[in-house]
Amino acid sequence: MSNLIFESVTKVFGEGSSKYVALENINFKAESGQLILVVGPSGSGKTTFLTIAGGLQTPTEGDVKINDSTIKSLSEKQQTKLRLEKIGFVLQSYNLVPFLTVEEQFKFVDKLKNQNLTEQKMHELLSDLGLLELLKKYPNQLSGGQKQRVAIARALYTDPDYILADEPTAALDTDRSMKVIELLRDLAHKRNKIIIVVTHDLRLKDMADKVYQIIDGKMTILEK
Amino acid sequence: MFLAIKEMLHEKLRYSLIVALIFLVSYLLIILTGLATGLANLNKAAINEWDASSIVLNSDSEGRLQQSFLSQDEVASLPNNGTRISQYSTLVKSENGLKENTQLVGLDSKSFIFKKLKITSGSKNIRNNAGVVSDKFKSDGFKIGDHLLVANSSLRIKITGFTPRATLSALPVVYISPDTIQPLNKGVTNAVVFKNKLKNSKIPKGTNQLSISSFIKKLPGYSAQQLTFDFMIAFLYIIILIVISIFLYILTVQKLPNLGVLKAQGVSTQYLILSTLFQSFIISVIGVIIAIILGEITAITLPSEVPIVIDKSNIIVTGIGIIIMSLLGALIPIRQIAKVDPYKIIGG
Repeated sequence: MSNLIFESVTKVFGEGSSKYVALENINFKAESGQLILVVGPSGSGKTTFLTIAGGLQTPTEGDVKINDSTIKSLSEKQQTKLRLEKIGFVLQSYNLVPFLTVEEQFKFVDKLKNQNLTEQKMHELLSDLGLLELLKKYPNQLSGGQKQRVAIARALYTDPDYILADEPTAALDTDRSMKVIELLRDLAHKRNKIIIVVTHDLRLKDMADKVYQIIDGKMTILEK
Repeated sequence: MFLAIKEMLHEKLRYSLIVALIFLVSYLLIILTGLATGLANLNKAAINEWDASSIVLNSDSEGRLQQSFLSQDEVASLPNNGTRISQYSTLVKSENGLKENTQLVGLDSKSFIFKKLKITSGSKNIRNNAGVVSDKFKSDGFKIGDHLLVANSSLRIKITGFTPRATLSALPVVYISPDTIQPLNKGVTNAVVFKNKLKNSKIPKGTNQLSISSFIKKLPGYSAQQLTFDFMIAFLYIIILIVISIFLYILTVQKLPNLGVLKAQGVSTQYLILSTLFQSFIISVIGVIIAIILGEITAITLPSEVPIVIDKSNIIVTGIGIIIMSLLGALIPIRQIAKVDPYKIIGG
């Protein structure tokens, strides 16, 4: 069973008069099979939380553990490998490589991981997400919703332990937003993944298993 | 290099433009290098054919053959395995009106230089006012058996053979015997050429020994001409470096958000850097290959008066030089890639 744990994590930017506390004493735990929403207004520290969870930044104080190993004890190379193999990122934009077709986005992952997954596996995954007909299309030929679904499929392709999504519905209308979040919830439950979605969109909170709120760098759990 | 190839295939116009730029500058570089080599050969081809190591001239001649006059005592005190050279610049005419500015070079038929001369047609005979002449005469319409009438003199030189690569200070050479040149230069020996370098103790007072490469550098106008070409060629290398740096920098800056996200997704910085180096290598190789092909075609189609020589060694040096410049040009974009912080792209 995978887990992601924040132990008394504090992140401070700058020094002296320009010192800014982005996250303050955060304690957080996520386990497999959960869709977790982290909500909060702009500038509250949501993305800082997400980038620390993804090993893109290190906390000023405290520890982040993935499956009981501390991220900051890993070398930069090991962190890169961790992101490739254990973490899937789904972002608001620039998710997909613009000059690769949908099919090539997956082949690129194969090349990076030195793996040779069968086309069948890729087709199954894309078929599950209703993307099979988009194989030969480039990102600029896809709608916003299609792009996000392809990005989710690409993130899932490496079979990561958890997926971090930063405002994945920001560019989508309500209907498409709900479909994307439903998809993420199904993946968490059926594929036993940890899925953490950072968003300011409170319409999504009914779909999540747990909802956290960050305001001024402090995290609290919201009762649903 | 999956990413690099896919990007170039998808962004054909963009990368074709860079290839076109590299091609144009490389083409110019190849033509200039060819002209530099061709002009250098015009000046020194005959000397290279001598296959000598050193030359002894008068100390006051500043290394110039025309200004060097060796006394009989000086010549006699030098080792006798050298080739005595007498030189005279003049105009020669054929009986049917063909004219040619030329360098008459008097030497002994038993000298090592004469023995080394190759013949493309005719025979190697310089006895009795006969001469072995540069191939240039042949291409200008002179034939074996023609007589060359030397300007301001009653001397007639019969062409007995043609020899390749026989130009000195950009003029075709006519090799004749010391007896034939004697009435023109009053029997003066301008220099003595040796196959091997002489010990300093064997150089008589009032004379100076130069290596053949130093002697070539002192040929009239040679160094100034070659330096001018060298500067132009060096600037073109710098231009290639700047052009590739700017193009790759702009392309990289446009891709930075994608590169940041790729890094976040676990693509290593090393992979992205190698990808950029690979692209730089490929575009420069394509540009250089097209430039070489067109350079060769240009050299073939240009009139023979244009002294252009595109040889293998030049092509290899120029090609490698351009490719190295392209790889160096990728250094600034590489720095951008190394510096891109996925956290900043994601928007923390």
